[in-house]
Amino acid sequence: MGIKNLGQQGIVFAVFTALFPIFAIALPGFLTTANMLTLLQNVAVLGILGLAMAIVVIGRGIDISLIAALAVPPGLVLQMVQDGHSLSISLAAAFALSIAFGLVNGWLIAYAEVPSLFTTLASGLFLAGLGQAALFKLDVVQWSPGLDGFEKLGQGNLLGIPMPVVMFALACIAVAFLLRQTRLGAYIYAIGDNPNGARVTGIPTRPIIVLQYVMAALIGCAAGLIMASSVNSMPTRIFNSTLIYDVILVVVLGGIGLSGGRGGVVNVIIGTLLIGTMLNGMTIMDVSYSGQNLVKGVVLLIAVITDSFLNPRNEETAQQGDI
Amino acid sequence: MSEIILSLNKATKLYAGVPAIDGVDFELRRGEIHALVGENGAGKSTLTKVMAGVVTLTSGTMQVNGADVMPKTPLEARHLGIAMVFQENSLVPTMTVAQNLFLGQERFYNRLRGIYISAQQFLQSLNFDVTPTATVGLLGAAKKQMVEIARAVLHDAKVIIFDEPTATLTPEEKKYFFDLVRDLKRRGVSIVFISHALEEALILADRITILRDGKHVVTDEAAKFDRARIVQAMVGRDLSNTLYGARKTTMRTAGARVLTVQNLKMAPMVKNNSLSVFAGQITGVFGLVGAGRTETFKVVAGVLKRDFFHGGEVLLHGKPVRYRVPAPAVRAGIAYVTEDRKVEGFFETMSVARNIYLGLLAKLPGGRFFLSRREADNVGSKWVERLKVRTTGNSMKVVELSGGNQQKVVIAKSLVQEPDLIIFDEPTRGVDVGAIVEIHELIQRLADEGKAVVVISSYLPEIMALSDGILVSRQGKVVEEFSAFEATEEKIMYAAVH
Repeated sequence: MGIKNLGQQGIVFAVFTALFPIFAIALPGFLTTANMLTLLQNVAVLGILGLAMAIVVIGRGIDISLIAALAVPPGLVLQMVQDGHSLSISLAAAFALSIAFGLVNGWLIAYAEVPSLFTTLASGLFLAGLGQAALFKLDVVQWSPGLDGFEKLGQGNLLGIPMPVVMFALACIAVAFLLRQTRLGAYIYAIGDNPNGARVTGIPTRPIIVLQYVMAALIGCAAGLIMASSVNSMPTRIFNSTLIYDVILVVVLGGIGLSGGRGGVVNVIIGTLLIGTMLNGMTIMDVSYSGQNLVKGVVLLIAVITDSFLNPRNEETAQQGDI
Repeated sequence: MSEIILSLNKATKLYAGVPAIDGVDFELRRGEIHALVGENGAGKSTLTKVMAGVVTLTSGTMQVNGADVMPKTPLEARHLGIAMVFQENSLVPTMTVAQNLFLGQERFYNRLRGIYISAQQFLQSLNFDVTPTATVGLLGAAKKQMVEIARAVLHDAKVIIFDEPTATLTPEEKKYFFDLVRDLKRRGVSIVFISHALEEALILADRITILRDGKHVVTDEAAKFDRARIVQAMVGRDLSNTLYGARKTTMRTAGARVLTVQNLKMAPMVKNNSLSVFAGQITGVFGLVGAGRTETFKVVAGVLKRDFFHGGEVLLHGKPVRYRVPAPAVRAGIAYVTEDRKVEGFFETMSVARNIYLGLLAKLPGGRFFLSRREADNVGSKWVERLKVRTTGNSMKVVELSGGNQQKVVIAKSLVQEPDLIIFDEPTRGVDVGAIVEIHELIQRLADEGKAVVVISSYLPEIMALSDGILVSRQGKVVEEFSAFEATEEKIMYAAVH
């Protein structure tokens, strides 16, 4: 296999395997069990969000509202428990909200045919605004005694592995199974590859697209619950952070083309590993927040440029019209 | 007159080590019309792209007016006086004709009135009936082509290359295009054109070059060719009797009435259209571009996206149906094989087997949740064998196949759904001669098996060779019906244009 056939995921994995030993040798305290677990724990939520984004991007869409889906329904759980509702009712309410949100996103994109970028941009703003205006009393929704035991989702461990990492692994298996082994997965790839072709073949494209956004919202909600339980609160202002760019970075860096139909869970894992290693290394080196953003930007540009050199656009792919 | 303006010597272009053209010699005389003919994949497009600077030769030389040149970009080729008019035209649809003509040559102060006036004068000098202020996107295919040609002339092109110039034109437009090309010739411009329609090459060209598998086969005066000799040179075997074979001598009897369309209206393309399709027969639908043939059958199959359905009735097996999306139509046994396989045909990132398997999955009623790799492989191998798709294996991707084999995959994807009514829209467009014969055999076999088959085609010999019954469509409705025995090319064309 020459470098021509390596593809973007190969390049990114090669960069990861090169970066890892350099950090291990150069940075004291990098290659310790404790740090490795921290590293994984820190990127677990990012990885889960990457999976949600991957499902949508493979189907030739994009979901900018993912951070709102991460912040608001889990915030609702914390708020409702604080207000004296039982945990199960609160969770049910959060999942119902997520499903409704996914349905609205999906309906607008599939049936009203509004481009996914604009739909999710607007719906994300709406959901975040709704949360802050109507649902939460404070920007940071605090943990309350009614949630005791639930924090194990974020802070517990299974056989010494932190729970968020276990959850990421489970999510990877579930999504990989969905995409590779089920009819639904085959349909998502088909829609991403050629939406008109999928339609003419007799695939019910519109319900499948709606389902993609519902799944993305639910996975986002799960990621939010894990995040909230690991820090014992839900900082709903996270919506204003650059987290969504990190998620897109993971997906694109991993090699899931924005034009749809390409890539899978492996790409998300590779993207997450590289980003996680980089962020962890930079934190140990005490690089400032803006410095980290600079590095991330450069890495993404290099990845995209390398890919277009190794896999030049030909007439066939040029007609596809990437986002 | 016989001075050589452009020549290629031992021109070779490798794509990933595979030659697209292999040691081709080519000479173009000043002021001649030169046709390039060959099967798909014979290297015609590559050869012209080399001349136009779109691709660069791996080895070999090129001379313009006797001087060695090697244009690396279309701009360099343009400076040498070589212009190419592409199949998918390269105009900016939202700009006006005049803006397109002067695109890239605007002065710093781009006065619109000024360019309209010069465009008007220029178009008049060419005797082109195009309004310079018209928006290009709203023009018909023929007018767009005029603009492209005008631009080439404006750039002072001495050599103009056309890639399948008549593919999207109606017969009247074709005639006009022929006059145009002859007029260019009189101005001393040399023309190279690629064509699949052999008659055009015979009528229009001074000389014809035939390519096969990237190699030069023969170049000769057009007068010394006839259909049979060209076809033989193209495929290297005598096919002319089987391709669009001799007149039909037998006609299948009609089975049950499968599809009835009554007074279908759909603005603006279909007006009060009524027709019937019977089991065990091939119904040929002929019409010129814009006759509403494709739209009518897209309504039947639920493929049309927006609901422009304005009345009328579609009956399938006698029951009224109305499909708004293709999925329920597929389940009811209607298959639509698209005329544009790139846009709504195959899945390019996927293997041949996966493409066909997706067709099966879409048809399976509800139940199937898990995928079965074995089932996919079995289905794939079965249909690859049945339709003689030439692949190197089930895992080969569809984009890597030739046009004819891609078309077979698209057909297999529909046939795996076991439809009762199969609608082929231009089944052999962009398909090489060998595959045309195989696809025609397949269509015949489907009718023999008792399926209701519809073939929509703009190519009369294809309609004549296949159909048991012929429907002629004009301006949104079927205007005339013929049985295979009574139809002649003249009768059909007469009905289609009047």
